[in-house]
Amino acid sequence: MMGVLRDRLDAFLGRGRFSTAVPVMDGPLQPNQHLERAAVLASAPALDNLVALRDGLYCSSGQQLMRIRAGTAEAVASYGVQISCMASDGGEGLAVGLARSGIVLRGGPHDGRAFAGLGNQPLNCPTAALFLDPDTLLVANGSAQHGPEQWQHDLMTHGCSGSVWKIKLATGHAELLAQDLAYPYGLALSPAGEILVSEAWRHRIVALDANKPAYPPRAVLQDLPGYPARLVAASGGAGVGVNGDAIGGGSGGGYWLAIFAPRNQLVEFVLQQDAYRQRMVASIEPRFWIAPALSSWSSFREPVQGGAIKQMGQLKPWAPSRSYGLVVRLGSDLSPISSWHSRADGRMHGVTSLCEYQGQLVLGAKGPGHALGLDLDGEQAR
Amino acid sequence: MNTMETLARLRYRYVPDHVVGEVLSKRWADNAIPFLALIVALATFGALNPGMFSHAGLRDLVAQTAEFGLMAIALTVVMISGGIDLSIGSIFALCVLATLAALNVYNLPLAAALLLCLAVGAGCGALNGLLIGYLRLRAFLTTLVTLILFRSVYDIVLPDLATQIVVGNSDSAAWASLGSGSLLGLPYALLVAALLALAWHVLLSRSRPGWHLAAVGGARRSAHNAGIPVKRVVFLAYVCSGLLCAVAALLYAARLGSIGSDTGVGTEISVLTAVVLGGTTLGGGRGSVAKALMGSIIVLVLSNGMLQMGLVGSTSVMILGVVLLAAAWLDTRWAKNRHKLITSTYVSPAYLEMPPCPATDEGSGSVYTPNDRLHDVQVIGLGQVEGPEDVLLDRDDNLYCGSRHGDVLRFFAPDYQRHEVYAHIGGYPLGMNFDREGNLVTCVGGMGLYMVTPQRQVVKLTDETQRTRFSVIDDSRIRLADDLDIAPDGRIFFSEATVRYNTHDWSSDMLEGRGNGRIICYDPRDRSTRTVLSHRVFPNGIVCLPDGESLLFAETWVGRIHRFWFDGPQKGRVQAVLDNLPGYPDNINRASDGNFWVAMVGMRGPAIDLSLSMPGFRREMTRRVAAANWLLPNLNIGCIVKFTAEGQVLESIWDRSGINHPSITSVKEHKGHLYLGGIFNNRIGRWRIPGADPQWTGPASYWGDRP
Repeated sequence: MMGVLRDRLDAFLGRGRFSTAVPVMDGPLQPNQHLERAAVLASAPALDNLVALRDGLYCSSGQQLMRIRAGTAEAVASYGVQISCMASDGGEGLAVGLARSGIVLRGGPHDGRAFAGLGNQPLNCPTAALFLDPDTLLVANGSAQHGPEQWQHDLMTHGCSGSVWKIKLATGHAELLAQDLAYPYGLALSPAGEILVSEAWRHRIVALDANKPAYPPRAVLQDLPGYPARLVAASGGAGVGVNGDAIGGGSGGGYWLAIFAPRNQLVEFVLQQDAYRQRMVASIEPRFWIAPALSSWSSFREPVQGGAIKQMGQLKPWAPSRSYGLVVRLGSDLSPISSWHSRADGRMHGVTSLCEYQGQLVLGAKGPGHALGLDLDGEQAR
Repeated sequence: MNTMETLARLRYRYVPDHVVGEVLSKRWADNAIPFLALIVALATFGALNPGMFSHAGLRDLVAQTAEFGLMAIALTVVMISGGIDLSIGSIFALCVLATLAALNVYNLPLAAALLLCLAVGAGCGALNGLLIGYLRLRAFLTTLVTLILFRSVYDIVLPDLATQIVVGNSDSAAWASLGSGSLLGLPYALLVAALLALAWHVLLSRSRPGWHLAAVGGARRSAHNAGIPVKRVVFLAYVCSGLLCAVAALLYAARLGSIGSDTGVGTEISVLTAVVLGGTTLGGGRGSVAKALMGSIIVLVLSNGMLQMGLVGSTSVMILGVVLLAAAWLDTRWAKNRHKLITSTYVSPAYLEMPPCPATDEGSGSVYTPNDRLHDVQVIGLGQVEGPEDVLLDRDDNLYCGSRHGDVLRFFAPDYQRHEVYAHIGGYPLGMNFDREGNLVTCVGGMGLYMVTPQRQVVKLTDETQRTRFSVIDDSRIRLADDLDIAPDGRIFFSEATVRYNTHDWSSDMLEGRGNGRIICYDPRDRSTRTVLSHRVFPNGIVCLPDGESLLFAETWVGRIHRFWFDGPQKGRVQAVLDNLPGYPDNINRASDGNFWVAMVGMRGPAIDLSLSMPGFRREMTRRVAAANWLLPNLNIGCIVKFTAEGQVLESIWDRSGINHPSITSVKEHKGHLYLGGIFNNRIGRWRIPGADPQWTGPASYWGDRP
């Protein structure tokens, strides 16, 4: 009763759960334009799902599996539906998540196996996968209602039907580790054996036990200024500071986190305005929604906010925007250490995937469709 | 759903939400709470004491109100200046003593007694003023001390004169009638007090000294910086306070004719209660005669009521004290939150149903298909101009534009590399055009309609029109004159985009989407200004048609262009020419082929179009979301449209990526080229029009070839 009353009061006053405030980017998240200056390794439309196999660096572009070599991305295979996640078993094996079609395995000991569903429900939105060992695969199903191409629908309908599963590849036995997640989008394994899941719509990272289900999961990093996508364990601890100083030194550990879109006051506000949101979802094309996006300013029919109106011919870097480029280096305790940005006036927006490959951190900016390289030895980031 | 829509439409059409914010933003809105308190007090005690509204009861109340009210005004004057005067009770007592002694003991003539009384009041006030104004002592402590000082003087002198005052009496008939006489049923005392109250009301609210007083109390340092003699103003405030106390003392002396040791004791607390209860701020800068009088009546009704209910003195004083505390608390809360309340209620969006936007997709075959024809635009004055909302070319091909620094700049033909400040106006020059004599007439945001003569003299043409009947806010002053055009007979028609907001708050007006704008005509023949069309949504561009009796104007936020007949047989008629543009039309100007150019300041998008039919969403947004994050029209795209007076769209010219010319606010054709201005831009564009008449110029089209 009190809770209901307080909710009504909060809604009226615009505070608490109804606040439109978003966390500011400050401290280790202080904005810079490092992503704009990063080297472009390859380009492909909607480049996503970077993953390193023994024989090279792979990515996806829509339905196609591509291999990046010598500055170009060449198609290796096509799957007929959009590839929504990929994971490497460290050898030849590759797990490929397909929109509304589950997971198929390519190469390695389980070549050709396919899992269209998990338990008794379809795996329609595989957003991330991770090999625990060559025979065990973790899969995040972003949403039970929407496919990966409808991620904006899922956010704008307050979707929280995501789940994380553990699949024994040999038997096909699937075990539910967590459910009711708001779009799990990245999976990583901590040195202690915990599974870290980036939960996009709740702007946080949660930890799961790999061996038994956990409800509700434990939040380990909260109040991110954007929607987190893939989370990757960093090797060796060769993080690069904002000023080019190596961070972490030999202490090791830590993670790379891709944040694919910024939180925005107007979006937070629209998320609370049910009448407007429903009419928007029902009657407007998603690319023109007031919703996060992977890239902006490609059409004049996109919504524009006051601070984003060009003044004296300039779009301000601090302008509120629906898309942003952000990669965060997290320490082994998951606290942010440093970050690489592409701001509102930049182009390298919508970084969804990350992969360490040959001494570089390779980032997939899905918005413009570029794979960017950041050298891990501290030279590049300046 | 449809019924809901209809209900919403009706609700937003007929419920005047915008009036709430307008009323709250009025200075007199402060009086609402004290006024309510007054009504409540009158009703309560009127019900408890039936005798209060009887003839005798009213007469008693009125007599007390005259004296008490004058003292409340005295304290108000001091409190507006940022001070406080606790010594008014003692000054009052001294003045009563002086008057009665002069009349009853020394038998001075009435005039001398009056002068003596006023002199005592003024003298006491001057002492306070000297100490506080010039010696900069703390008002509270100083007047606390003078309260004791004056009271001591009173206590020393009184015993020597008390008997003689009571025994003696004045033989002046005028004095007697001041005490008990009346005119038209109203006691003289009340008339005197009412006259003084009226005079002070005018002085405080409508005169330079009154404004100085409020300025000193509101922000002492700013008042000093503005050149107001702060010390003198404070000094005079205390002198006036003393004088008003003296007048109150005169009325008291005339009414009662006697004096006691407790005369004026404790008055300062009840007067202070009255003033604070009326809504005069303890911190200074805000207060009025009306507030003082309302507070006085509340306090008198309260104390008289309590007396009649048999409450003993100390209890009623305690109750008054509690009331004072409550009033002081309310005062601080109100002063802190008043501004918030206004900002959260002032913006009141209206219901707007936009027709489906015309196709603008590539390959749709629409006349509005985006292109990059402005790609080869020649850039003029990059970084040298800031915000050329409108551009203008003279017969010698020189280029004029406004800037947000308040200048009119001139770029010299033929290459437009050099420029000079043609005239400094001080406000933001928006629409511009030449009249027959070659004067540059311009709409200046925040200032009105101005012209710059060929000798570069800046002349104000008009900054006022008639006030709309029944309007709450005073819309007579022109706030946002936007674009103008000149009819063949010399009359200047100009648009005022909105009467509710200033230039830099255009986004609030956009979100409101209400018919806040109007079209005004200035007639140079008799220098008259009058509104010819009102309640239009952000009327912006204006162009007079050659027929001399109609004009085209753009309503920006609804994407429409109308034709309006200001003369002739169809006078007063408004007809849509283009009723569904894909963007927001700004200035309209003539093209060499007899058609018209309209600059599009931005383009429509589905998200904002949807929000226009959801006023509640927009209102919530202005309250909850910071202005930099508001959903606004996309102004980062450049588009120009050419159309005929009959409403046929001929072509559209785009800067699709908005690199050189986002938000084009004006286009002027001149000798085969288009010149582009943008209110948020730092450059002017020059673009060759394929196939245009290379000899055509604006001035020649309007006023013929040079004689």
